[in-house]
Amino acid sequence: MKRREFIKLTALTALGVFLGSGALRSASAKITLEEALKKHLGVGLSQIKESDKVKIKAPSIAESGANVPIQVSADVPVEQVESLHIFVDKNPNPFIASVDFSPMNGEVFFATRIKMGATSPVRAILKLKDGTYLMASKEVKVTVGGCG
Amino acid sequence: MASIGRAIVRVPKKVKKGEVFKVQMVIIHPMETGLRKDPKTGKKIPAHYITHVDFYFNDKLVTRINSSPGISKNPYFAIKMKAQESGTLKIVYEDNKGNKWEKSVNITVEG
Repeated sequence: MKRREFIKLTALTALGVFLGSGALRSASAKITLEEALKKHLGVGLSQIKESDKVKIKAPSIAESGANVPIQVSADVPVEQVESLHIFVDKNPNPFIASVDFSPMNGEVFFATRIKMGATSPVRAILKLKDGTYLMASKEVKVTVGGCG
Repeated sequence: MASIGRAIVRVPKKVKKGEVFKVQMVIIHPMETGLRKDPKTGKKIPAHYITHVDFYFNDKLVTRINSSPGISKNPYFAIKMKAQESGTLKIVYEDNKGNKWEKSVNITVEG
């Protein structure tokens, strides 16, 4: 009985320390998704519509948050597209990258490897030349965060 | 990190005129977020990351990637492009400490 209590206690303490440090860090520098969207796109999430024309490929479960492969493509002629923006909701800074396209690209395509601090949706937002936005998102489970 | 800024670029040896092909690259770079602490000293490691990567084909801008510390260490980037004639793909990339590098590869268009 005593031993069990001891294990419980240490487990709880470890969890407390873990959560505590996480909370401290996020309080110091965290930017919300909405703030990041406003800063980089000038619009909020409610003005961006989900579309199956945008395709995002990412693992459902990432072994390490330090290195998550993602790939984005779209069934939209590149001539109609201005740029692509990648965001991770739960990262200390949700903005990951953006890509400015030109007709010389031939098609909308971008692949990279990103850092993820925790389980979160990964969002790919396409800014079209007519001023509208199309989005696809994919939830990626992260067991070990990689934003340290 | 003596080789910081070195890049490896992969493109097809030959492409057809107007054919869409993939350009892949890896840059040797620490991509420090500025949030990480040195385990030995306990001091924060300053942010050090690639800010953007520009792809020029025959001196015309094809694509700009705006990067951030959210991209993994030793960044991998892949884009697609097409070419109407043979030429040079020049990739210019910079980091937040003002370092600037470039790497060129030739692309041969046939047919």
